[in-house]
This record gives sequence, structure tokens and C-alpha cells, in this order.
Amino acid sequence: MLIVDRLSKVYDAHGRRVEALADITFSVGEGEFACVVGPSGCGKTTLLRCLAGLLTPTSGTATVHGKLAVVFQEYGRSLFPWLRVRDNVGLPLKDLSKKERQAKVDTALAAVGLTDAAGAYPWQLSGGMQQRVAIARAIAYGPRVLLMDEPFAAVDAQTRADLEDLIRDVWHRLGVTLLFITHDIDESVYLGQRVIVLSSAPSRVAENIAIDLPDERDQLTTRGDARFVEFRGRVYAHIQKAKRDHARGT
Amino acid sequence: MSITSRASELGSSLRTPYALRRRAYAAAKRVGIWLGLPVALVTAWWFASAGSTDFYWPSLRRIMQAFAETWFGPRLVEDVLPSLARLAVGYAIALLLGIALGVAIGSSVRTRAVTEPALEFLRAIPPPILVPVIMLFAGIDDGMKVIVIVFGCIWPILLNAVEGVRATDEVLTDTCRVYGVNPLRHLIVRAASPQIMTGARQALSIGIILMVISEMVAASSGLGFTVVQFQRGFQIPEMWSGVLLLGLIGVTLAAIFRFAEHKILGWYHGSRDADRR
Repeated sequence: MLIVDRLSKVYDAHGRRVEALADITFSVGEGEFACVVGPSGCGKTTLLRCLAGLLTPTSGTATVHGKLAVVFQEYGRSLFPWLRVRDNVGLPLKDLSKKERQAKVDTALAAVGLTDAAGAYPWQLSGGMQQRVAIARAIAYGPRVLLMDEPFAAVDAQTRADLEDLIRDVWHRLGVTLLFITHDIDESVYLGQRVIVLSSAPSRVAENIAIDLPDERDQLTTRGDARFVEFRGRVYAHIQKAKRDHARGT
Repeated sequence: MSITSRASELGSSLRTPYALRRRAYAAAKRVGIWLGLPVALVTAWWFASAGSTDFYWPSLRRIMQAFAETWFGPRLVEDVLPSLARLAVGYAIALLLGIALGVAIGSSVRTRAVTEPALEFLRAIPPPILVPVIMLFAGIDDGMKVIVIVFGCIWPILLNAVEGVRATDEVLTDTCRVYGVNPLRHLIVRAASPQIMTGARQALSIGIILMVISEMVAASSGLGFTVVQFQRGFQIPEMWSGVLLLGLIGVTLAAIFRFAEHKILGWYHGSRDADRR
């Protein structure tokens, strides 16, 4: 479970004051899959860094119940280039016995379809495969809460569709609480059970929409579904409104 | 391309007889390029100096003779090995100390700002000038020579380590924090290792120079000492053979270093090649 309560973040450095997050409040229930979407530059990454404990909020709190894993946007830079794939996935599991670690690594790599790449170095793999390794590492860690920061922003469209389905599959299997940050409206509607729309910076929660599409989703039929199109339109309208309000300076 | 086909393609291309033959040919060509010029130079020296009667420029044949007589005897144990041992100890201390201090200094912006001017000053002192100074309190035995080598070798290692640590990717730092991985053990030194290696390579040649200089100024054994003794005793072929030996030692150490670097930084060269593709 994940609770964000009146969170704000102001960067105050070199005489320049930038208000990234004004007042963010939402929560993601146990085992829920929520997406955060917003116009570019709305402080999505700031929000994630506050949630992950990498950044201290200026005020308010972000509470994560249970073990947390993060998949970063820059997959190429979040894998250790001197470790092979299996050691990258196993690195956070140093406390376990060798045998236990091995078993967890194998399961996680199988879950993302990378069993054959265990002995490769990350830089020998394509971008999509590297992001799978990062996902496998998060799975192997055994988190209760999984945060993902625009994980598919830098991969091509087909790989992206595969990875989206992979993530839904992982979520089903692990039963984790999942918060997925993206700038892609279609992706936010397709993936989760809820879409949290942020306004432009200094950002607030503009809208919190429950996506009651059927749980069984498919790239072809779900995206063609009239309800999907309707949700997408609603999210789009909110983001456009947020941008207009921002341009007017309110 | 799927990973399976990639992996099997890689495996098979390394194993076919044709590929093996091609690799053997490429290796032979490399050795040829590597050895070609040295062999030509030695041959030219051999014939140009043959029958030389000049006292100061003896024939290569005479120098080779002196080489065998001089160095394949008790001198190997009494002079060569002690020199190399002092170099090894001094270099190892400089490596450990340089990396430890470099990591400590590089990890903190404030420490770096405070220490930088002092480090630049210390680095600017030419280490040979410290030989007589260190002699004053450390005497003229092994301790002095090791201290001189450490003092000369540590700066390139330390300053490069500081730079390397400073350039550690922050996404990896975040990754360590999120996953509870100790960055000191698993990230910082490894991430800085390419720069540390650059410093260590510079330090190795400095170390060899200081090994010889410290022995030339004050010693009763060692390579530098022996070469100076030969020069003073007008044992010219022996003197030249000492110079040759020092050159060979330098080449051998550089080769060992390159081998170690290849082992340690294989990932680095591979990832850089991958980026270029």
C-alpha cells in the first residue's frame, strides 16, 4: 500500500525557487495497479523520487507499506555494466544463501523471458531486453510495492506493447501494489485500474479516474473498445485543461 | 533478433574450423606487427656494432655476453629481485592508499574542495628531489626507497580515483539506495576502475623510474646501484647490459599490466564498443 499525503516539493538552489509539486494527495490500495500521467515537466520524476525515498519532500509525507522496488526510466544506466545479467538480478539478494539466490534469479529471469541471457552483459542486449533485466531484478527482490518511472519511454513501439503486457502479467502473478508513471495517455489507460492525472507544475492531482475495463486486456481488442476510447478522451481532456490553466498562469 | 539465436550465433562463429584458422592468422599477424620493428632494430644494431673497437660502444655481441654473465648469476638474487620487490611493495601501497583516499575524497564535494589545492601542490613536487630528504629520517635502506616509490606513484592513482568516483552514474547510486546495495562495496570502486587504471598505468612507469633513481643516489644493492657501479668501474658492456635489462623489465611489467587491465576492464571496453555500434 502507498499513501501520499499533502506532498510538496520546492527546489531552492542558487537563488532560484522552483515549485515542482504543490500539493499531492492520493493513495494506492494493497495490490492495486495505478498509473500517474501528466503533461511533460509536471514533476512526475520528482514524485517518484520522493516516493522511493531518494528525495526529501518539502512538506507532507509519502508512506510505502512493505518492501519497495523501483524500475528506473534510464534502464541502460541502472544496470551494473560490470555484472552479468544473473549477477545484476541477484545483487540485491546478497543476504540469501547462494542456492536461494540462484532460484530467485532463475524464476525472475524466466518470468521476463530472459533465461537464455543470464550469462550476457547488459550492454550486449537490446534496449527492450535491458529493461526486462531491470524488471527481473525488481521481481527477484520480492517487493510489496513496485514503482516504475516511465520505464518504456525509450523503447520502440512494438517492444513497448510486449513490455506492457509483461508488466500486467507480472502484476497478476506477484499481487504487488504497482504505481506506474508515464507521459503516455494510452498506456496509462491500458495498464492500470486507476489513472491519477497530474496538473502542470506546480502540480496537484487534477483527476483520479477509476478504469473499470475488464481485467483481461489485449493490445488489439482493449484499445479498440469504446470504453477505452472514452477513458482516453477523458484523460486527454484533463491534461489539455491542465496545460491551458498553466498557460493562463493560474 | 532473439537472444537464443544471438547466443548460438556467437557460439558457433567462435568454434568453426574456418573461424579458428582466421583467428590464428590474425593472432600471428598481430605478433608479427608487434615484434617486427624491435627485431629489425636489434639486427641492425648487431651488424652495425659488430667488430666495434670503440671502448664506449662495444658490439652487441659483447653486451649480450656480459648480459648472460652479469645477470644470470648471484646478481639476480642480490640486485634484481630486491629492486623488483621494493617496486612491488611501494606500488602496492600506493595503489591501496591511492584508491582508499581517492574514494574518501571523491565521495564528498566538501572534502574535495578542501583538499584539492594541497593535492595539486604535493603532486607538483618532483619525487626524485625527495630522495635526499627522505634519507634524512628513513635512512638509506629499503624503507626509504619504498617511501620514495609510494610518494611518486600515489598521485596519479589518487587524483584519477577522485575523478572516477565523482563521475559515478547517479542512476546507479539511486539503484543502490533503493535496493539496499552497499555502494562502497559494489559500485564506487568498480565504477571508478577505468580511471583508476589510467592512473595506475602512469604510476607504474613513475615507479620504475623512482626505483632506479633511489638506488642510484644511495644504495648498496639494486639495479640502479649496479649500473652506476659498472659505469664508475668502466665496465662498459656490463653497464649497457643493465640498461637493456631495465628496458626488458619495463616492457614485461607493461605487458603484465595490460593483461590485468584486460581482465579487470573487459566490461568497460565491451560496453564502449557496444555504444559505438
